[in-house]
Amino acid sequence: MEAGHSVPKSQPTVKSFAKTAAKGFNVHVNDKYYAAAFLGPSLLILGVFVFYPMVRTLYLSLFLTNNVGRPTVFVGLKNYVSLLTSAAYRASLTATGFYVVGVVVLTLALGILLAQATVQKLAGIQWFRTIFSATMGVSVSVAAIFWLFIFSPSVGLLDQIAAFFHLPVINWLTDPGWAMVAIIVSTVWMNLGFTFLILFGALQMVPPTLYEAADIEGASKRYQFWHVTLPMISPTLFFTATVTLIGAFKSFGLIDLMTAGGPNNATNLMVYQVYKDAFLTGNYGMASAESIILALVIALFTLLQFKFLEKRVTY
Amino acid sequence: MMSLTKTHKSLRYLGLGLLALLILGPFILGFWTSLMPTADIAKGILISSHLSLANYVDAVQQTAILRYLVNSLVISTLTMLAQVLFCSLGAYTFVFLKFKGRDFLFYVILATMMLPFEAEVIPNFATVRFLNLLNHYAVMVIPFLTSAFGIFMLRQAFRQIPGELKEAADIEGLNHWQFYWRVALPYARISIFTLAAYSFLESWNQYLWPMLTTFSDKFRPVQDGLRQLQSQETFNNWGMIQASAVIVVIPTLLVLFVGQHYFKNGLNEGATK
Amino acid sequence: MRRIRNWERWGLAGLCLIIVAAIGLGWATHQRATTAQANTRTKVVFWHEMTGPAQQELLTLVKNFNHSQTKYEVVPEFEGNYNEAVQKIIDTHGTDASPAVFQSMDISTSQLHHTGYTTPVQKFIDEDHYPVQKIASGARAFYANKGVQLSMPFNTSQPVLYYNATLLKKYGITPPPVNPSYQDITRVATQLMTRSHKKVQGITVEIYGWLFEQFLANSGESLANREDGHAGTPTAVNFTGPAAVQTMQWIQTNLKRGSFVNYGAGANAVNNETASFLSGRLGMFLQSSATIGQLTKGNPDKLGITYYPHPDGQKANGVAIGGASLWISNDKTTHVQRGAWDFIKYLLTAKNQAAWQVATGYLALNKDSQKEPELQALYQKLPATKVPGEQLRAATPNNTNSGIFLQGLIQARILTQTAMEQIYQGSDPQKALATAQKSMNSYISNNNRSNGYS
Repeated sequence: MEAGHSVPKSQPTVKSFAKTAAKGFNVHVNDKYYAAAFLGPSLLILGVFVFYPMVRTLYLSLFLTNNVGRPTVFVGLKNYVSLLTSAAYRASLTATGFYVVGVVVLTLALGILLAQATVQKLAGIQWFRTIFSATMGVSVSVAAIFWLFIFSPSVGLLDQIAAFFHLPVINWLTDPGWAMVAIIVSTVWMNLGFTFLILFGALQMVPPTLYEAADIEGASKRYQFWHVTLPMISPTLFFTATVTLIGAFKSFGLIDLMTAGGPNNATNLMVYQVYKDAFLTGNYGMASAESIILALVIALFTLLQFKFLEKRVTY
Repeated sequence: MMSLTKTHKSLRYLGLGLLALLILGPFILGFWTSLMPTADIAKGILISSHLSLANYVDAVQQTAILRYLVNSLVISTLTMLAQVLFCSLGAYTFVFLKFKGRDFLFYVILATMMLPFEAEVIPNFATVRFLNLLNHYAVMVIPFLTSAFGIFMLRQAFRQIPGELKEAADIEGLNHWQFYWRVALPYARISIFTLAAYSFLESWNQYLWPMLTTFSDKFRPVQDGLRQLQSQETFNNWGMIQASAVIVVIPTLLVLFVGQHYFKNGLNEGATK
Repeated sequence: MRRIRNWERWGLAGLCLIIVAAIGLGWATHQRATTAQANTRTKVVFWHEMTGPAQQELLTLVKNFNHSQTKYEVVPEFEGNYNEAVQKIIDTHGTDASPAVFQSMDISTSQLHHTGYTTPVQKFIDEDHYPVQKIASGARAFYANKGVQLSMPFNTSQPVLYYNATLLKKYGITPPPVNPSYQDITRVATQLMTRSHKKVQGITVEIYGWLFEQFLANSGESLANREDGHAGTPTAVNFTGPAAVQTMQWIQTNLKRGSFVNYGAGANAVNNETASFLSGRLGMFLQSSATIGQLTKGNPDKLGITYYPHPDGQKANGVAIGGASLWISNDKTTHVQRGAWDFIKYLLTAKNQAAWQVATGYLALNKDSQKEPELQALYQKLPATKVPGEQLRAATPNNTNSGIFLQGLIQARILTQTAMEQIYQGSDPQKALATAQKSMNSYISNNNRSNGYS
């Protein structure tokens, strides 16, 4: 893997120097037309579907909208005030935070476990690698359906096991606390394939000489893990963490299929709240304010990631 | 590693086996119940002797599951092709073309990566409604013709192209189109493949946007198709729903297994770059 | 980095090809099956929200309609649940994606009327001199405004209580009376729990705003001010009246005792309570009469049905009808609108309404349907199926049991459902309902302001 810094673009040989100098003007004179043709489509799409809507959302968030969705009454920041003072919305923020932390921590921990388990040399280990990456091929609705069945009362697997051992039956999807657990588990399972692949790749790239040296010094396996493995894969770990984090903030499909934000709004995450206010009750002003808050949170974490990548690229 | 004793080794396999069961459990259960009669599932029986493919026949005949698959295939393929084209052209601009405001534009595009689509659905819905694109393949392709992430990634790849190549091309009198097509694209093919795979999967997994913008089975992609099946079954026809989910998951699983190396290499390249 | 081997490349390409071919083939056969009669007929897109047996019956009716004439082809599309559909209808209006005729739930009437996006069916009733008096007047009145029929009632149900008569007999429990009070229900539920040693759960009351509204209606308490909106645009709601609080306390107390059980909210709750009831693990539940179709099909146990329960120590005020009506969009050509109307007329014939009630449990709205042999046979076989119709006739219509004319009732349902969830989990009923009421009132005042009603 190359270090990421760019190869100096023009290191002209003596022979070509004269030529480029002669053509120099010529070479770049048409560039702006090419640029228009090459970059134009992308700029247009990003402008219409990414920039304009952000501005428009900001605008809408300052209004009340009528029953066909037109902004009619300017209210300034009142939508934001009523959101941030509403216990229900604060609960939604808390739930999102809880969910995001749960998903990130568990995804990374299990991802490392799986990756560690498969770097060892054993006959047939290739099979396990394939199996561990399998959930990458699972889309959100398939994951939701598989887990919905596992969690479903009386017919689902978990309740059957509980019944078999005479354990108390847990109402996975109707008890607020357990419903959150259920969606975290499902999300983590869905994320694992991708996380495993990336962390496995990082582990493979740790130079074996480091472990050999540690072995000679008599360091325990646990010591090696904390002081050799983790520091070596920490950049990848950070990358995976931010990707998982941002993904978790945007979660919608699993929530929609498994709990619809319930019970008692326990799994009413930020995007679901936007959906409900905009596309169920037509409350576009409020939903726009919620969108802006969501965008701010995600932008913050993306920025963090950029800052980090920048550092990586330059060292 | 030769010093591993036999028990030690079997312990490791046991551990790996348990982890594999954890990962595969939901697949196995889904697949198993898709072969069982719904009546047995409803009674809470998990070991049935009446296994058959009846649920699959039902799913194919009574639901539009295949249509959903075709729709997803069309949408994802179009999105993938478009993203490869427009992202590579955009990336090319930032590496090989010189014009005023280039760097500014690059930061503008980089900035769009911070804006989540989920937070922009309200005006975007209004836009596609205004363009009369609702309930059509176009509505699920046009907003995703390009991506800031793709431009960023391919820009990194194009920057690895040695300067001498460009010089030589200039001498030969290749114009930018020719250089783009004959040199830049082939040179960055690994990154192109990765972007293709990434954009395809991204499009395949879209859930919220198609749910808001499609209103008939003719255009509904597979994720929302499954939602549709799940919400119109009031009788808990678990067998058929599981069969539909299996039908949906098998193509992606197969592609994943065969194309594993692409993914692994491409992803790691993206992750560590 | 390892180079990609040649065989892998070919393997991947080949696999993709096979998958594409397989899907394409499957699709081609599917297409042939569905578009057997692609032709020059005018397409009339019909959006509905029916699921399960009701959907099957509705699709049969659509097919029969398409066979019955050659001018129009009705294209049915399922659009999710009632809540989802309303906003979809409003959001797509004026585009190619919008429906020509659509089904929308009872409580969306005020909102849809105010958008001005529909052609009142009164126009076609007048043009055709359609004998509208054949259609049940209570149902018609629900969807009319100032003498103008806005939409045509279609699937009309009553909330009722279901019990498993076989199970009650097995444990020697006297069934609840036909018009039960809360006390009657508590008794049966408790007996079921104790006599079955907790093998059978007593009753579940789904976390559903509709059921909450019906508890208020049946006790004669208004949910919105200005006579539930019948006397003008409401400015506030009342979720904290004595009947609301008392009912919620009743459910909460019994949930704590274990004789009531919580199955949650939404489609999953309905699926699960139905499955449990049919497998004999749940003795009673409250639900729409539209569930009868599912509960009679292949159910070995005897089904019992009673009126919706009312508070102790007072007479039942009667419940409102539930269900939905059919609307005609005004963004389509007159020809298409005419096709939509022909389809509505077809659905409301005596024969089709009778078949509809037999298959689903929704009440037949055409007065002549009662004479249809199909319906007569059902009454003979399962006398309990007469109960919902009797309940409707037993109630004297007044402002608290004739629906609520309030825009934003979907929001109200979301809020009351959240309150119910909290109460079921043990929160103080008064407090939970007060929170919901506060949110709803602020929603109403915003809504009234943005639409210029105040």
